[in-house]
Amino acid sequence: MNQLQFEHIITIIGAIVVFLAASVALKNDWKTPGLENQVFKLMLFLLAVGSVLAFLAAMGVIGSWKGSA
Amino acid sequence: MAVAVAHDPSSGSGQAHGVDRLYAETRELRINGFLLFMVSDLVLFSSFIFAYLYLRQTGQGWPPPGISRLDVAFAAFNSVVLFGSGATMHFALENWKHGNFNKYAGWMLATIVLGAGFLSGQGYEYWTLYTKFHASWSGAGIFGASFFTLTGMHGFHVFMGICYLTILFLQTVGGVYTKQKYAGLTMGTLYWHFVDIIWVFLFSMFYLWQ
Amino acid sequence: MAVAELHGGGIAEHVHPEPHGFIRKYIFSIDHKIIGLQYMITAFIFLVMGGMLAELIRVQLMSPHGTLVSNDTFDELYSVHGSTMVWLVIIPMLTGAFGNFVFPVQIGARDVAFPWLNMASFWMFPPAGLMLYGSFLMGAPTAGWTEYPPMSLQGAPGTSMWCAAIFLIGVSSTLTGINFLVTLLRMRAPGMTLTRMPLFCWAQLATAPLLMIATTALGAALAALFIERQFGVPFYDPTRGGSPLLWQHMFWFYSHPAVYIMILPAFGMISEIIPTFARKPIFGYRMIAFSSVAIALLGFMVWAHHMFTSGLSPALQLAFMLLTMTIAIPTGIKIFSWVATLWGGKIHFTTAMLFATGFIVTFTIGGLTGVYLAAVPFDLHAHGTYFIVAHLHYVLVGGSLMGIFAGMYFWFPKMTGRFMNETLGKWHFWLFMIGFNGTFIPMHWIGLLGQPRRVATYDPQFWSSNFAASLFSFIMTFAILLFFVNALWSIRRGKPAGHNPWGARTLEWQIPSPMPYYNFKKVPMVFASPYHFSDPLPYRGLEGELDPSVPAPVPAGHH
Repeated sequence: MNQLQFEHIITIIGAIVVFLAASVALKNDWKTPGLENQVFKLMLFLLAVGSVLAFLAAMGVIGSWKGSA
Repeated sequence: MAVAVAHDPSSGSGQAHGVDRLYAETRELRINGFLLFMVSDLVLFSSFIFAYLYLRQTGQGWPPPGISRLDVAFAAFNSVVLFGSGATMHFALENWKHGNFNKYAGWMLATIVLGAGFLSGQGYEYWTLYTKFHASWSGAGIFGASFFTLTGMHGFHVFMGICYLTILFLQTVGGVYTKQKYAGLTMGTLYWHFVDIIWVFLFSMFYLWQ
Repeated sequence: MAVAELHGGGIAEHVHPEPHGFIRKYIFSIDHKIIGLQYMITAFIFLVMGGMLAELIRVQLMSPHGTLVSNDTFDELYSVHGSTMVWLVIIPMLTGAFGNFVFPVQIGARDVAFPWLNMASFWMFPPAGLMLYGSFLMGAPTAGWTEYPPMSLQGAPGTSMWCAAIFLIGVSSTLTGINFLVTLLRMRAPGMTLTRMPLFCWAQLATAPLLMIATTALGAALAALFIERQFGVPFYDPTRGGSPLLWQHMFWFYSHPAVYIMILPAFGMISEIIPTFARKPIFGYRMIAFSSVAIALLGFMVWAHHMFTSGLSPALQLAFMLLTMTIAIPTGIKIFSWVATLWGGKIHFTTAMLFATGFIVTFTIGGLTGVYLAAVPFDLHAHGTYFIVAHLHYVLVGGSLMGIFAGMYFWFPKMTGRFMNETLGKWHFWLFMIGFNGTFIPMHWIGLLGQPRRVATYDPQFWSSNFAASLFSFIMTFAILLFFVNALWSIRRGKPAGHNPWGARTLEWQIPSPMPYYNFKKVPMVFASPYHFSDPLPYRGLEGELDPSVPAPVPAGHH
């Protein structure tokens, strides 16, 4: 297993784990009151979005593999 | 403020707990102030992102001549490390709220380690760029001005975050916070999530769009 | 706000321990009133320094080929003059000084939300000023207060010092903005709803987000300029891929909101002074309050009207022209509301009121030339001429500085317990009006005729107007000297004023002068807007404030 494959696998697994963690946390916290909790929810949502982006990048759907350093 | 009073279980019994009400309201002030600090920090990042987009559309194409495309695979890997630290930070705060100190400590240390891992990954990427393409801050035209400035500024925020979380961890070990009074931990978590989501934008704009 | 539990020991009840010793009381004070006075004194010192630079400029321009200073020194003079007046005089004066001193008391708070942060904000200000003036030692900035690249990239080493100084004062402003916003939103006394706040508080509420957001954008621009100058990272240098226009966008994204930072609090002060001396409720309270917010919001959308000659596309020019003209609407609402407040009032022309009415006149002239300049075809003609100089001095001197003087005469009794001398004050006002208008009116026409700003020499055809402007500027300077003499004399020897000499109705006038460190012995309850002069005062719980037999509140709680 070379470095690229290792990166791929870790990225895909990690992205799925983070996405699930953020989604579950978002669901559990959905009804919490208070300003900072609204901010927390927004941030958890963006965290989930970020993990989706990382997942798609690792799957080669977005971003480009060609000519990488 | 009424929300904060209701949120803090120790002040539920009303007027008798004068000091607790003072705590609840002081906490509300501090968190509001911290959120506003984050807004102004967001403006700082937005200004540099504006500069990047502006230079990118006026410049000589992107990436500029002489600079290779950035390594998306490695960046995605490194991003997941940072996003993972956001998740562990969330677990740390949740466990603190529920009084599980040991689990809290584990997640907190995991957050610090993952944050340090992200920084090392960024260092590795800088080193690769420098050794392979001689890309440096001042020697790579607008690439240096935008990429190195923004990711470097973000890296500095991560570094500050690691220091911040370490101090918070030492404070919790020293018993500064209780199950009811942990405003400092809340702010640390807000800061760490903030650093995470800034990276969501930087990752999309530098790596996914080239 | 938790109105029901009035005396439940919350933050409103929290009292700092009484400060002891000179250093804790006056140097590293956390009391918002002392910090306000610290800002005020420091800003007045910088007003004197900036004024001396202005006089050097005017002396140089007394003849077409003035020989007082060299061309390069002249560039340094106007650059540091502008930077001083904007960042070290008017912004700290209106936010740090009057903001700190007045509005926490007006909303019935005992201090701002973060007193230590407030102290830190202040203590960034004098070092920033020293750094700016220290830049003279290594060659001061020469590209004007706007420091456009590429000229600022080639400037003397002091330009980097300038960046650092303005960055520092920017951090101070940002922290002040955060502090004020949290205070205004979270620390109001029970019953003090947003629409019962005095209009000065509304002005600060509109200004605080500008301080917080716009100043950070300037910080980014300054950091980039500093990095480019010191480390050669190309942001702005067009020969290396950068863009000088980028600086203009980033700089004006801050600096246009900054002109509202420099005028909105003055609007707020005028809105307090005019009803007090016309003995009439303010006309259109809500319209004045909301127009401040509207100005603040619009202020973020008009920055490129400073760049009409920089090569924007015509579509953008049109959009920015229309948006800029829109700002005249909320501003006009304010002007008409003040005039309508005066209408049928029982006007007392104290010095504060003279300055407030003078403000309306001179600011309106400056505002009108602002609408001219918003029009692209006119701006293409007038850009970079003395017409701009006339316009900006009419709004900053005829607006902000007149507002500062009005506020000084109005709140001086609150600061010291004594009046300023009214006779000297009226001399100050009339000499200032004559000197100010005499200095800046001629600049309108020499600008339209084409005299460029920021040049040490000029065509001899403009000599008479320039000479007159210089002479009148001496009168203006003399008037300001009268003010300083008056203030210094009145601190010790002025007529005792009592706690409420003007019969004003906002909360700060209901407690002793000078105000005690705890502000209120008992936090008052508010049940109406303060401007209804025929009604009894809309506060409960203030009975013991003026009674020396009622003890001071006991410090309680942690820290």
